[in-house]
Amino acid sequence: MSFLRLSSVKKTYPDGTVAVKGVDLDVKDGEFVVLLGPSGCGKTTTLRMVAGLETCSAGKIELAGVDVTSLRPSQRDVGFVFQFYALYPHLSVRENVAFPLRCAGVRVAEIHARVDQVCERVGISPLLTRYPAELSGGDRQRVALARAMVRRPRVYLMDEPLGTLDADQRLEMCEFIRAQQQELGVTTLYVTHDQEEAMSIADRIVVMVDGNIRQIGSPTGVYDDPADLFVAGFVGSPGMNLIDGAVERREGRPVFVPKRSPLALPLPMEGDSGPATLGIRPEYVHANAHGPLGGVVVLDEYLGSHRFVHVETREGRIVMRSNQPHPPGSTVSLGLDLTHCRLFDGLSGRSRAHV
Amino acid sequence: MKHDAAAIRIAFVAPTLVFLIVIDLFPLLYNVFLSFTNAQLSSAAYDFVGTRNYSAVLGELASPRFQDALRTTGAFVVCAVAIELLLGFVLALALRDSFRGRSAVLSLLLIPMMLSPAVMGLFWNLILSAHNGVLNQALEVLGISGPHWLTDPHWKLPAVILVDVWMWTPFMMLIALAGLNAIPGYIYEAAEIDRASTWAVFRRITLPMTAPLLGLAVLLRCTDALKQFDLVMALTGPNDASTQTVSALLYQVTFAGQKVGLGGAYACVVLVVVIALASVFTRYLDWLAGKQGRSGQVAT
Repeated sequence: MSFLRLSSVKKTYPDGTVAVKGVDLDVKDGEFVVLLGPSGCGKTTTLRMVAGLETCSAGKIELAGVDVTSLRPSQRDVGFVFQFYALYPHLSVRENVAFPLRCAGVRVAEIHARVDQVCERVGISPLLTRYPAELSGGDRQRVALARAMVRRPRVYLMDEPLGTLDADQRLEMCEFIRAQQQELGVTTLYVTHDQEEAMSIADRIVVMVDGNIRQIGSPTGVYDDPADLFVAGFVGSPGMNLIDGAVERREGRPVFVPKRSPLALPLPMEGDSGPATLGIRPEYVHANAHGPLGGVVVLDEYLGSHRFVHVETREGRIVMRSNQPHPPGSTVSLGLDLTHCRLFDGLSGRSRAHV
Repeated sequence: MKHDAAAIRIAFVAPTLVFLIVIDLFPLLYNVFLSFTNAQLSSAAYDFVGTRNYSAVLGELASPRFQDALRTTGAFVVCAVAIELLLGFVLALALRDSFRGRSAVLSLLLIPMMLSPAVMGLFWNLILSAHNGVLNQALEVLGISGPHWLTDPHWKLPAVILVDVWMWTPFMMLIALAGLNAIPGYIYEAAEIDRASTWAVFRRITLPMTAPLLGLAVLLRCTDALKQFDLVMALTGPNDASTQTVSALLYQVTFAGQKVGLGGAYACVVLVVVIALASVFTRYLDWLAGKQGRSGQVAT
């Protein structure tokens, strides 16, 4: 059953900018859904429309079966975590977390108990008398989280909550938010431009570009079966290697013929002949003396446990995941594990598997 | 090279320094010097009289006319600054959101602040004139018979306050507006999400977040209003019992009484008071800076 439903939601700003071109999305009760996309793709606008901080130009938003499209944020019962925390600077941590309860007219003793409880939960109990400016970014975000949680809203909406944190804090907070959400089972819509963050935190990922949804799927689904060339390149770091060419039939079997090389790579799947783009993840590319694709190493990106070797070939730059060093300037032959390749339509860029 | 740098430094500072010495330091020291003499405006000759002027001033502090001047000044400061604060804040709240013609309204409202107080005093003298003044004529249209602003002892101080309010409300409004604009929009969004009522937003967010800056404006206005002289001078004259502020009394003693030495001693006493106020002022500023450091949002 869908708990939060967006039906052809659109947003056009007064200056004519179309930020969101029609979004349909069903979020199940207790689900953690991440809106992922590059900046300017409309993900934050979508989130703010769900909160009621922006009005919808068209479409409908339903929350728990109620049409909330025209309701004010205060009438929607949502918790919102802002990218820049948006804590009240003149109030202490305790007063910040108590603010929503105070506005609801909850009795003082109960406010005290609930604030203590939620602050204990997010681990900011020792900081109750401090002021926001005295806290680290991670602690501020915990306070913002506590403030969003204390009223027990029906939905958490989070706008790049980890955007301003250091890398190590980011990982810790990411795990923390996920653990909190699972424990409380509150439906969460979460915006980020960081695909690694999205992969590690989401039940489902919604990839957005240019105000449109390109793909909705589980993290593995989005990674393994990107719906189109954009998703293939955007998800994963680095993204999928893409080779332009065409599908042809040789001796009754489908092969992929790259544009600039006289090669015929046998395909594991059936496919109609015609222009196509072959996508393959760096982990399925390896150095092989007899490999079909030769090139020159331009960058050996060392990441500790492994490295990404960037190789300039006739078919463009191919990234290979490797455990061996490959000094820049050296030549290398690449083997492709085609059982894991994906085919995209040469004209539309859509995945052939998704057609 | 090193000498050149020092010379350039001195060359840059020198004009300001000379200016300050001529305009500020010399008159101050000369005034202190005069306060120990019996100098008169009308004659160049004078004798040292020791601390006689000061004992006269201290005696004067207990005198009815000084007490009256003090009371008048106090009433003026409290009424004028309170009304200016209230009006200025209300205007700022009305003008914070953009609307068509906002900048025009803002510019119009700021005009009084830009004009010379002495000139404005003279203009208001005409406006407030009991019989052919614009204000009373306007009131007459509304069916109200206006008071004799500048001749009725009950209405003289209110008249001075009225003109001061007219002149300085824009200043309060400007500072309040700066305070309001400094509150980031997402704070209000957070409050909306937190289901704060309009009143709660005003009382718990807008007011406390602008209060430090309003406090600063009040302090600035108080120090300025405490030495109120020009409006009194232009509207009712320096020797009017119902509007004689401390500064006006000082002027009366020094110039009308021609007792430069005694006036000098008065001025020295006032100076001490002003320095005390200024230290309160700087302390407040320090406290404010510390508080901002504590509660200021870090924009990253």
